[in-house]
Amino acid sequence: MTPIINIEKLRVTFGKGDEEVTAVKDVSFSINPGETVCIVGESGSGKSVTSLSLMRLVEFGGGTIVDGRMTLAGENGAIDLAQADADTMRDIRGDEMGMIFQEPMTSLNPVFTIERQLTDGLRVHRGLTGQAATKRALQLLKEVRIPEPERRLKQYPHELSGGMRQRVVIAIAMACHPRLLIADEPTTALDVTIQAEILALINQLKRETGMAVMFITHDMAVVAQIADRVVVMYRGDVVEEGPVEEIFANPKAEYTKALLAAVPRLGEMRGKAAPEPLRLVGDTAPPKPITPRETPELLLEVRNLTTYFPVKGGPLRRHVANVHAVEDVSFTLNKGETLSLVGESGCGKSSCGRSILRLVEPTSGSAILDRKDVLAASHRDLRILRRDMQMIFQDPFASLNPYMRLSAQVAEPLRNFDLARGSELQDRVAALFDRVELPRAYMRRFPHELSGGQRQRIAIARALSVSPKLIIADEAVSALDVSVQAQVLNLMMELQADLGLSFLFISHDMAVVERVSHNVAVMYLGRIVEIGPRAAVFENPQHSYTKSLMLAVPIANPRDRKQIGDLNFKPIPSPMHPLSYTPEPSRYDTVGPGHLVLREG
Amino acid sequence: MAYIINRVLSVLLTLFLISVITFAVTNILPGDVAMMIMGTQSNPEALAGLRESLGLNDPLIVQYGRWIGGLLTGDWGHSLVFREPIAPLIAQKVVASGVIVVMSMTIALLFAIPLGVWAAIHRDRWQDSTASTSALVGVSLPDFFWGIMLILLFARALGWFPSSGFVHPADDLLGAIRHAFLPSLALGLGLMAHLTRMTRSTMIGIMQQEFIRVARAKGLAEREVVWSYGLRNAIGPVLTVAGLQVGYLFGSIIVVESLFNYTGMGWLTYQALLNRDIPLIQSSVFVIAAVVMLTNLLVDLLYVVIDPRIRLS
Repeated sequence: MTPIINIEKLRVTFGKGDEEVTAVKDVSFSINPGETVCIVGESGSGKSVTSLSLMRLVEFGGGTIVDGRMTLAGENGAIDLAQADADTMRDIRGDEMGMIFQEPMTSLNPVFTIERQLTDGLRVHRGLTGQAATKRALQLLKEVRIPEPERRLKQYPHELSGGMRQRVVIAIAMACHPRLLIADEPTTALDVTIQAEILALINQLKRETGMAVMFITHDMAVVAQIADRVVVMYRGDVVEEGPVEEIFANPKAEYTKALLAAVPRLGEMRGKAAPEPLRLVGDTAPPKPITPRETPELLLEVRNLTTYFPVKGGPLRRHVANVHAVEDVSFTLNKGETLSLVGESGCGKSSCGRSILRLVEPTSGSAILDRKDVLAASHRDLRILRRDMQMIFQDPFASLNPYMRLSAQVAEPLRNFDLARGSELQDRVAALFDRVELPRAYMRRFPHELSGGQRQRIAIARALSVSPKLIIADEAVSALDVSVQAQVLNLMMELQADLGLSFLFISHDMAVVERVSHNVAVMYLGRIVEIGPRAAVFENPQHSYTKSLMLAVPIANPRDRKQIGDLNFKPIPSPMHPLSYTPEPSRYDTVGPGHLVLREG
Repeated sequence: MAYIINRVLSVLLTLFLISVITFAVTNILPGDVAMMIMGTQSNPEALAGLRESLGLNDPLIVQYGRWIGGLLTGDWGHSLVFREPIAPLIAQKVVASGVIVVMSMTIALLFAIPLGVWAAIHRDRWQDSTASTSALVGVSLPDFFWGIMLILLFARALGWFPSSGFVHPADDLLGAIRHAFLPSLALGLGLMAHLTRMTRSTMIGIMQQEFIRVARAKGLAEREVVWSYGLRNAIGPVLTVAGLQVGYLFGSIIVVESLFNYTGMGWLTYQALLNRDIPLIQSSVFVIAAVVMLTNLLVDLLYVVIDPRIRLS
């Protein structure tokens, strides 16, 4: 079989002279008709640059293809895309090859209608305008299974949800029946249920049209679910290539082995009583489980926590409605244990964490930390209480001050509470650097000199400095590459075992949550819909939302593929309600020891 | 709709505040209308009598009410210097300045937008530094410098345009444009510099957006990607800045109109200030403020057409 595209010795650089950086060093692989090839790698591996080079879009971002061939097979003979001129490339883009991108929220032009954006390609490649173009656009929207397609044509992007926008972007790429669809992290910015829908859709379109798919991702679970063949990239080179089953079952390259070891796989904690660190490549001793204390000791008790955000409207900016971000949430957290709050974006998990720290003011309820009610505390008392509860945020690039040395940032909480001075302060900061396994030489550095994982270690050291009892980790590992994520997760678990810390672990990632939690609470529309021991919630989910969430999570095992056809999960209703609205209290049924399920209806 | 009502209400509120401020400031300044009419050497009793008959002894709130009532009913009082009713006087001068403001803004936008886009798509290359440097020169040099240079070149040396005077567009449209051309150009150069920089930075931001990549991935020609996909998104912020510049324009026309002996609002306000013509100062300041406010309202309403996101929120 002649491959659709054959890449040989591709080399791409950015910048000139001394500042030249080689993003892709020597990449060769090919894609056959009707095949899904996943290009997988961590940030900086060159996977996106490779895909942009194929479309010759890399030049618009300052890149240069300095060497190699990219042969596109066509009816009229083969073309080397690396040598093709601008006009030829314009004819190929959007016609022979379609591309979809990561960010559905910004992939569509906000000032043009969906119809205009769908018909652009038809106009330039097929000469279709007017009625004929509209008809085809409508058909495309039906093909990507958008509800109410007629209405969508006249709408603007901001009127569509993220999942629908990504469907529109796919429809744009599919407009002229491309033979190759390039998808660059198309589901990374989406919630897991929407991700499942989009993956199912791409699979279905592939089957219907016979096109080939080049799928760029960092997510091994997605790879396992959709790939026929896998190309593993690392620092601009292909380190391994092969059929998906082979890669997962029998990785050859050291890098692939390390990568796969770092991926938490949903279901692999089955039968284990307590969370345990991931066993990474190079670890000799088997990981020790983080067993809870024999006599559980209560640390945090949250009762009926409710947080509303006011919505202002009308000419006088009056308070017209409330966003019910957290609705009657109750849970407990013991010393030395981890409770995870899991759910999709907008479910209230972050608001819940922030409410407990009072970074946002809750509307009502109580949060008792070691017999002191945080929510009722005066501002003075709150300051002292915050010593016992620290937070780690998602973005380690934004949560550190770029103008302060790292030692000063870690020392800051100690100074604030006047816990140490002079040489004692320096000693304690140095000990914290040791604790998070960063070299002491880094103390003099600034945040931009560190990688993402190292910065997150600084954030952890800063949180640890005041010896808190509770750490609220809000998507603390979500922005990290998978191998770095595994190291940071292991560090957090190790600290828990050594220091008896409690974590409130806020995350959207079910596989990570399964790995680290003693207890899990699933949130939906501001409420906890199901809470209980990790094993109970993961192995015996009872609430319909928990079940659909579990169904949507991709599993990093190609032998465990989900045969799901057409997915269209119910959209999440708006949490905004008029002022007069009085919500029902959350009522639960007990289905097992400590396992509670919200009554539906 | 809520957006439009919101904008109109806020303009009305601002106009009210402006009227209070102009009225208050001119009343706090030393000297009053009676003194201006009778002169500083006048008989104190006659002065007191005139004050009484002009109502200057009434409480300020009553005087304000009388003034604002007059403004609303078209009775704007008499100018002390020009000895004629203020309303028709201002009406004529607003037209004169309006010609300059519209022309200078048109000239500025006509050059600034292409230049800014050109600089943005050739970012950090010679085209960009050329455009940025010339914009910087435009901003750094004051309007009157450009005015003098233009008079020397186009009026004295080449004789293409008149160097001074005003012609009403109703009498002779072409003559009006010819007379307004050089002052408009002098103002437009400074404006253009600001707007070029604004267009450049907005376009640079827009061209990095993902939807631009999507447009290219569709196979659209670069011309369409830049001028349709890109510019359509950049035009809103540029027009907003242009609207705000109208306020700056009314500050600059005082100098430029004097230089070109062009009898517009700037010239009139200058005469009013010079002669302490308090009723005229109050009215012209209020009119200038109102024109600036209304221009910005217009830009905000244009936004509704440009950006669908505002239409529905």
